[in-house]
Amino acid sequence: MRRHRTTRKKLVVPVIAAIALVAVACTSGSDSGSSSGTGSPGSSGAPIELTMWHGYGKVIDNQGQTNYEAKSLTDLVDEYNAMNTGIHVNLDYIGSNDHALEKLTVALNAGEQPDITYQYGTSMPQIATAPGVMDLTDMVQDPSYNWSDFSEGARQAATVDGHVYGIPALIDNLAIVYNKDLFQQAGVAPPSADWTWDDFIAAAKALTDPSKQQYGWAFPIDGSEDTTWHYDAMLWEAGGDILNADNTQAAFNSDAGVQALTALQQMAVTDKSVFLDQQNTGKIDTLFNSGKIGMDVTGPWALSGYPDINYGVQIMPEFPGGSHATIAGPDMWVMFDNNGHGEAAWQFMQWLTAAEQVKADAMESGHLPIRNSVVTPSFLKAFDQKFPGEGLFAQNLTNVTKARPVITSYDQISRIMAEAVVKVMLGQGDPKSSLDDAANQVNQVLAGG
Amino acid sequence: MAAVAARPHRGAPGFARRALTSDHLAGWLFVLPAVFLVALFSIFPIIWGFILSLQKASLISPNRPFVGIDNYTHIASDPVARQAATNAVIYTCLFVPTSIIIALFLAIALNQKIRLIRFYRLAVFIPVAVSTIATGVMFMWVFDANFGLANWALGGVGLGPFGWFDSPSGAMPSLVIMTVWGWLGFDAIIYLAALQGVPHELVEAAAVDGASRWTIFRNVTLPLLGPATLLLVVWSTISAVQLFDEVFFITRGGPLGHTNVPVFYIYRLAFTSQYGFSAAGYAAALAYVLFVVILILTLVQFWMGNRVVHYSS
Repeated sequence: MRRHRTTRKKLVVPVIAAIALVAVACTSGSDSGSSSGTGSPGSSGAPIELTMWHGYGKVIDNQGQTNYEAKSLTDLVDEYNAMNTGIHVNLDYIGSNDHALEKLTVALNAGEQPDITYQYGTSMPQIATAPGVMDLTDMVQDPSYNWSDFSEGARQAATVDGHVYGIPALIDNLAIVYNKDLFQQAGVAPPSADWTWDDFIAAAKALTDPSKQQYGWAFPIDGSEDTTWHYDAMLWEAGGDILNADNTQAAFNSDAGVQALTALQQMAVTDKSVFLDQQNTGKIDTLFNSGKIGMDVTGPWALSGYPDINYGVQIMPEFPGGSHATIAGPDMWVMFDNNGHGEAAWQFMQWLTAAEQVKADAMESGHLPIRNSVVTPSFLKAFDQKFPGEGLFAQNLTNVTKARPVITSYDQISRIMAEAVVKVMLGQGDPKSSLDDAANQVNQVLAGG
Repeated sequence: MAAVAARPHRGAPGFARRALTSDHLAGWLFVLPAVFLVALFSIFPIIWGFILSLQKASLISPNRPFVGIDNYTHIASDPVARQAATNAVIYTCLFVPTSIIIALFLAIALNQKIRLIRFYRLAVFIPVAVSTIATGVMFMWVFDANFGLANWALGGVGLGPFGWFDSPSGAMPSLVIMTVWGWLGFDAIIYLAALQGVPHELVEAAAVDGASRWTIFRNVTLPLLGPATLLLVVWSTISAVQLFDEVFFITRGGPLGHTNVPVFYIYRLAFTSQYGFSAAGYAAALAYVLFVVILILTLVQFWMGNRVVHYSS
């Protein structure tokens, strides 16, 4: 599951989940009762009530652990509500972010859309067509908001045809997380900042031991965007692109694309050094944390799931003549102007995404700061101390040089590319012809609109 | 009813009075809540779905131009729809006979007078009560190609290792095994009830006439199970064609589309953009075609059933 930090919860025995649900049903009832009591300041009448959807999970998860992502957001919202600005924000956990767009779709058809919702950046072109979605283009240009402080990749993902429809909520990127002990046991030098994919392939092979059911690497082959963005990063590291500059033609079947997919083929089919995860419901994290996998190409969200191993983090390898590029998955806060509450929603959003709150959230939840001005040397030091390895992810944001195309057909293109990658990794196709075939399909999609 | 019908007809006022005082009114008032709910949750969506199937629409954008029957004609040239249909046929052909035959044997076993029989019956039925997701999590690890119990046990007797859900050829059989396990209890209980309805006199009469146990089963018991078998075949076929949960949770249609079944494809068309942003209308058209297919299948099964099922109680 991409960018969903608390995947391990999915493996909880459902009986416990059911009990927890009942418990939540009871407690949430009393929660809403108390919040509506404290929410009215009495001076200026009833406050404007805003509903805010998120997918960070519950503050106390099903295993009784504190979920710091959810806690951080809840604390910030509580702080805002306590300021009695006449706006009261109600947080609503709606389940995994992977299904946030589906839930919004259903809500839109019922006219029950929230005032603010968390959505993946790749969903922005679709959301831009929704009725009532707020066009924030003019608002973010207000000099006091300092829009250019957000990273370039995140701003690009928020912008559809020149209009801004989202405020970056979270940004992360892919890097190598490796098991230091397994590297030592295999006598392999740990990943370095100047690694090439040949080094990676050799290390993956050396770390693979069928007798111990130990793999060098793991790759999600469920055919979702999770498959595609892992490949996208490699494509960019080889110097390739997904589409041409004006998004009219496929470009991933270039030599660079073939080189990247051939590397995957080498590891998956020839060396059998990759654990291929067909279901992609958290198995990779579980196995990596059990010391069965040497390297995991993943994002900062995954680190909290590896308490049992001694891990290190390193930036992505490069292909000769390419770069150490990585891919960022910026997620967005999207706002709807319901009952004329849009202005209030924007007021709250300005506060939530101001530098001070961004910094507080980063230090509590471990999220990479979405504002560049927050990333100072002193911040990095404190951040990496509290969340070992996250400092590298924060610095790795500078390796984010490209964004996925912001077009409504992106999900379709992603699916077609993922199918080609999966086909090759399962040994059922060769890189060149699979990519050419996928490129033909993509070109048809782009031509058909 | 008879009293109402016997009253002389006196035109409209009489009709109104009759309607207000008759048993009909009370009857209608009683069913009104149900009629309202059915209309709200069934009839309205059915009509809305049909309108949607004539549009080029995403469920997000309000811009939904009508395209006539384009969505229906597109189905014939859609390779993914063909693949989904093929997968549905394969799954149904594997799932329906397997689950019904095993359930019959189980039901016969559970019909014996042995100690702890209630416990065994309960044990067989429990998987039906377990949620699909719980079953899914369990089978995902049992059928894990590297770390699963199934490969470990089969490896012990020199078989495998198998790829199960991860292998293109193994994913569908794995789904069949998992769903048969989940549905077996239901089928077995239906058969058990039917078995207990078999009159003792017939069995005893056959035994007195010198029939062997097999002959009794073949010529007395089995024909009497006809109605139950017909019910199970119809029920299992409909649920097989509508397979969704297990695919959604475990295989996501993969690997390489080998478990992409119609309802899962319809879901992806309507609620994701993986097959195009404005594919909800096409999804509605596919759903209508699926409905017609299920209707025809059911009618054919009932028609055949009436010719084969001899003793309908």
